[in-house]
Parts: sequence; structure tokens; C-alpha cells
Amino acid sequence: MKRWTKQMTRIAGLITVGALVAACGAGGRPSSGSSSDTAAAEVGITKDTVTVGATFPLTGVAAPGYSEIPTGAQAYFDYVNANGGVNGRKIKYIVRDDGYNPTTTSEVTNELVLKDQVFAMLGALGTPTHSAVVDFLNSEKVPDLFVSSGSIQWGNDPKAKPYTFGWQPDYEIEGKIIGQWVAKNMPDAKVGLFLQDDDLGVDSEKGVRRYIDKQIVKVAKYTSGNTDVAPQIAALKASGADLVLGFNVPAYTALSQLVAMKLNYKPKWFYANIGSDPELIGSLLSKFSEGAVGKVNPLDGVLTTEYIPGVDATDNAWVQLWQKVWDKHGKDGHLTNYRIYGMSEAYAFVQALQAAGKNPTRKGIVDAVEKMGNDAGPPLAPFRYSADSHLGISGMRVVQLKGLVADPLTPVLVTDLGAAPIKEDDSAAKDGPPASGIPEVKPAG
Amino acid sequence: MQQLLTTFLTGLTLGMVYAAFALALVLIWRSTRIVNFAQAPMAMITTYVALVIVDAGMSYWIGFAAALLSGLVLGAVIERVVIRPVEGKPEINAIILTLGLFVVIHAVAAIIFGSGFRSFPAPFGLRGFEAGGVTIALTGFAVFTICSVAVVMLLLVALFQHTDIGLKMRASAFNQEVSRMLGVKVTRMLTLGWALAAVVGSLSGLLIAGGSLVSPSYMDSVVVYGFVAAVLGGLDSPGGAVVGGLLLGVSLSFVSGYVGSDLVALASLAILIVVLLVRPAGLFSHATARRV
Repeated sequence: MKRWTKQMTRIAGLITVGALVAACGAGGRPSSGSSSDTAAAEVGITKDTVTVGATFPLTGVAAPGYSEIPTGAQAYFDYVNANGGVNGRKIKYIVRDDGYNPTTTSEVTNELVLKDQVFAMLGALGTPTHSAVVDFLNSEKVPDLFVSSGSIQWGNDPKAKPYTFGWQPDYEIEGKIIGQWVAKNMPDAKVGLFLQDDDLGVDSEKGVRRYIDKQIVKVAKYTSGNTDVAPQIAALKASGADLVLGFNVPAYTALSQLVAMKLNYKPKWFYANIGSDPELIGSLLSKFSEGAVGKVNPLDGVLTTEYIPGVDATDNAWVQLWQKVWDKHGKDGHLTNYRIYGMSEAYAFVQALQAAGKNPTRKGIVDAVEKMGNDAGPPLAPFRYSADSHLGISGMRVVQLKGLVADPLTPVLVTDLGAAPIKEDDSAAKDGPPASGIPEVKPAG
Repeated sequence: MQQLLTTFLTGLTLGMVYAAFALALVLIWRSTRIVNFAQAPMAMITTYVALVIVDAGMSYWIGFAAALLSGLVLGAVIERVVIRPVEGKPEINAIILTLGLFVVIHAVAAIIFGSGFRSFPAPFGLRGFEAGGVTIALTGFAVFTICSVAVVMLLLVALFQHTDIGLKMRASAFNQEVSRMLGVKVTRMLTLGWALAAVVGSLSGLLIAGGSLVSPSYMDSVVVYGFVAAVLGGLDSPGGAVVGGLLLGVSLSFVSGYVGSDLVALASLAILIVVLLVRPAGLFSHATARRV
């Protein structure tokens, strides 16, 4: 009896191994012989579809705001598909939830690349999360377009990561632009920095210090996940800082405002773009209707930056296009800045896909993005893409929040990493979308 | 000086919340001899109950009472339905079960209430008191926190040391067989222990949520620190839990403000190790007397 079970175990083991080997062989990529149309030989591309994948935090601490980005992108792709797609191909957009947890990001990215066989990744969100998969994507040669994070690592070394491209202005140039503005307009301010203790804090502090190294009296860093920021705000208050530059995610903008209220600390606040959405922060703080907080938006008067026109700019042609797209194809809720962000990324992807020609390949779209730059698009400043840099939008403008409206204080300021000077450049801010609402980019030659 | 005071006071308030949570762990430990890891999500879900009621336009205090009440019911139901089948089996079974509950309640909360951050109101002012031009980082709500945890601690001491029912609860936790022979309704005592512990846990949930943001995972760090606080105090003594909570809250606040916020979790473990090396049974434990 015992021998019989032993044998059965062995046989079962063999069968399992065999099945596994067969499964591995069966996966991989679609066999090139199966399709008679050579144009459709690239992974993720068929005669009438292009499949793209994305990872976003749809649940967890980072979900407020960020989970709306893919709904915007989806609405824009629905709009493009309803108008015939790109070169006759409909865009299939697969979003997976990573809960802002790098381990999960690896899992779901594997799924997207190996199981769903996406042609490219688009707008995957988060520095810690995307860091976990960027090497995998490059080794698999999957175009990793327009990462939704301002870390410089997506674009400062295209030799190491040839398939990855940043999108939004990186944290270093945002730090530079904010630093220069402070040096020029508030030269006597004692500056405190409120930083997230990762790339976000490191890159932006580097940029800020280039201009106001001597003005900085205190640097307070919080660790993402620890919601008690009282010790940090107390340290800023004790240092006498009367201008606090916050490079943090939205939940921490709300937390820092709450603690400041508790400590009766009233400096001038300047939050970097990613943490300053007035609608989101307003809703987070809506319950604390004491004193100024409540009827008035809690971020009223706060300084921040802007690199795509926001939902408040209702007379902007881009925003009108997004509104039209959202009204027609949007799901629940109304148009928000996060949805506009998603639509703008989707718009840039359609531009890239058109530039890659009638029969796009993975290599082809990477080459096409490197040549992308001055085509009209929603960003206020041109992209910096080239063979030497995969960094995204080159600049932004400083704005002051008045209620939910962003009031520009400067023209669009454009720069690059390191010692590159900051220049005024409104050229990209004036263009509008084509009448169809769909880009008309010629294939890059 | 001001920073020192602020850091101390915010640590004190936070320590009181850890203490409340540790009290709940102590309560369940004393009445059933198991450690309940599901305490945090149970507290989280009752806090959401309060939030739903407040959002519906009712007063904060109705929400507050409803949360405590639902804690009472939830604790009793979980004991009856989930824990009862493994009672009498090795304690580890029940502990593993509470870990499972942790995951399940989390997921259920995310499905029902969504997983985003939501703001939770506070019944008292959130602005620090001012004394002679100096702002003291002590808000009305912080004073409420400190007082209510102190009251709960005194009530628990009174319950365990000075009432019949407390004696019965301790007895049934300590030796079910003998207690049963002496006429104690052991199962009823166990249910009561769980129910009361869940009420205290709900209170800690409400206290940490007040004037801040809640999400299904907002209690997760509290479970770690509350557990450390309870172990510091010896898992057995309500007074020890409060001292442990305060010690932890204040020291972690100083670590975060003066050393680095990334070292907070590490520091809590360092404190735990040091205390356990010096007093293996915790600061206020009577456990040694019971060892046979």
C-alpha cells in the first residue's frame, strides 16, 4: 500500500513538471506564423487593437485622487475609439490595482506583460512602486511610457533605461523653479522644508538648494505611512520658518494643515504640484469646520505650481475638450484635475502611437517618442524627449490658489536638470487642440 | 523649549491612544488568555459606524455612543461565532484566527466604506490652547482623550479588583475547569470579556480618528504600538498598559522630532527589547507569581 502511494506521488510529480514545462513554452508570445498579416506581428498589436497596460493605486493610502487618473485616460481612449481609433486600431486599456505596494506592482506588471501581453505600459504611477518593475520592463523591452511620477530616474539615463520615459516635470526642476521664485520674490523669508523621505524629497531639495541654500532654516522629513506629523511641524515652528515649502503627497498636505492649526503655526505655505489639488484637500479637511477651515477652501492663498491647465480654467480650449470627452464617455463623478492628468497622458500616447507609423513596433514607438517635442499638446511647456534625455515636460508656472482657482503669478518657466538656466517660455501654453480633439501627428521619419 | 513641550505633549496624547488600545488587549488577555490581533480592524469598523452616523447629520455624541455599542455587539458576536469553536484548544489556534479576522474585516471595510481617506470630526476644538502668547500643543480633544483613557483605566482596575464579576472573569480565564466546578458560567464570562475589550478598542479607534483622517488601515500602526505598550506593561495590568502606552508615545514622538521619522518603528522595537531584557515579564506583571 505504502509503495503504491509512493509511486503515485512520483508519477503525479512528473506530470506536474511536464505540464509546467509545456505551459511555459505555450506562454511567451504569439507565434509569428499564426497571423498572415505581418503588420500585426508585434506583441499587443493586432489588425484592429492596441493593448496598453497601467498600474495605479485604486485602493489604499495613495488612492484618493490618484485612482481617478485612469478613469480620465479611459474616457479619452473611449473618445478616440468612438472616432475610429488610431490607424483603424482601437486602444484597449487595462488597469491593474497595486495598492501603492511595490510587491503588488511587480505581480500585476508581470501579469500585464506576460499574460495580457500589452504592447506598452502607460502612466504607471508612483516612485517606489514603479522602481520595482522598471528593470523588468526594460529587460523585456516593453515601452514604459509616461510614468506618473516626477522622479528623475525615469529619464536622466536613457542608456540604462532605454524603454522608460518620464512625463510630468521632474521634482528637481520643480524645486529649482520654486527656489528661484522664492529667491526673487521672498528674499527675506526664513524657509522650512517639509519633505517626503524618498526621491520626492531628495530630488526637490537638490533643486531648491540651488537657489535658496542660505535661506533654509530647517528641513523636516516625514515617512510615508506614519500619519503623525506633529513632531515635524513642531520642529519647523521652533526654527522660526515663516515660509514652508511642502514636497509631499495630498494626504500629508491635509495632515500638515491640521497639525499647524493645532500648534497655531501660520507660515506662508507653498506646496509642490503633486500635493496641492484644492478640491481633494478641501474635501479631506471638510469636517474640521473651525475658524477659517470650512466655507473657505483651506488652501486659499497657498502657493503652488501648474504644468497642465486645470479644471478651474473653463475658458481654456484643452479643458473644454476634456469636459466634452468626460461628459460623453466619463463614468461616475465629474471632471477633476486628476482626470485631466489621465486624459493628457492618454493624448500624449495617441500622439506617440501616430508618430510610430501605420505598423507600430515597440522599438518604433520609443524612437518616435524621442523625436516628440513640439507637437501641440495640453502641457504648458514642451517635452524634453531626445536620445539623451527621457525626461518629460520641461517646466511649469507658479500660481496662487484663490478658492478652487489657480491664479498665475509667473509666465511658464522652462528649465532642465543641474545648472541649466530657467527661462520664460509661453510657446507651448498658447496652442489649442485640433477641432476633432484627436491629435494629427505625422509618422516620425 | 517650545518644541520640546510640543513634542512632549503630542507624544503624551498619542501615548494615551496607544494606552487605550493596550487596555483592550489587556482586558481580553485577562479574561480569555489570548492576544486579539483583530482588535485594530474591529475598532476601525466601529469608527466607520460613527462616521456614517455623523455624515447622516446626527450629532457626534450619537455616533460616539453607537460606535461603542456596536463594539460591544461585535465583540460578543465574534466571540460566540468565531472564537467559541476553538476555545479549549491550544491558544495558538485562537490567535491565528484573530489574525485571519484582521484580514477579513479589513477587506470587508474596504468594500463597504471604500478605501480612501476620509476626515473624521472631533467634538472639541482642534486649535491649541494659548497661555501668555505661547501656544500649548494641547487641544480640547487631547484633554478629552487623556481624561477618558484615565477613566477607563480606573474602571478596569475597579472591575477586576473590586467586583464579583471581575473575579469570575479572571477565574474563568485562569482555569476554566475549576471555575466551572465552582459555579461560574465560564462561557458567559468569556463573551463578556470580548465584548468589553471591543468597547475599549472602539474608544481608542474613536480617539485616534478624532480630528484626523481615517481609512481602513488607519489603525494598523496602532496595533503594533498598542501591542508593544501592552507587553511593556506586562499584558496583565491596566496600570502597566497605560504607563507602557505613555512611555512609548512620548519616546516615539521625540525620536520622530529629533532623530528621524524613519526610525520610529525601529525605536519602538528597541524599547521593547530593552524592557524585556531587563524585566522579561513586563514592567508591572504578576505573571511570575503564577508560574508553576
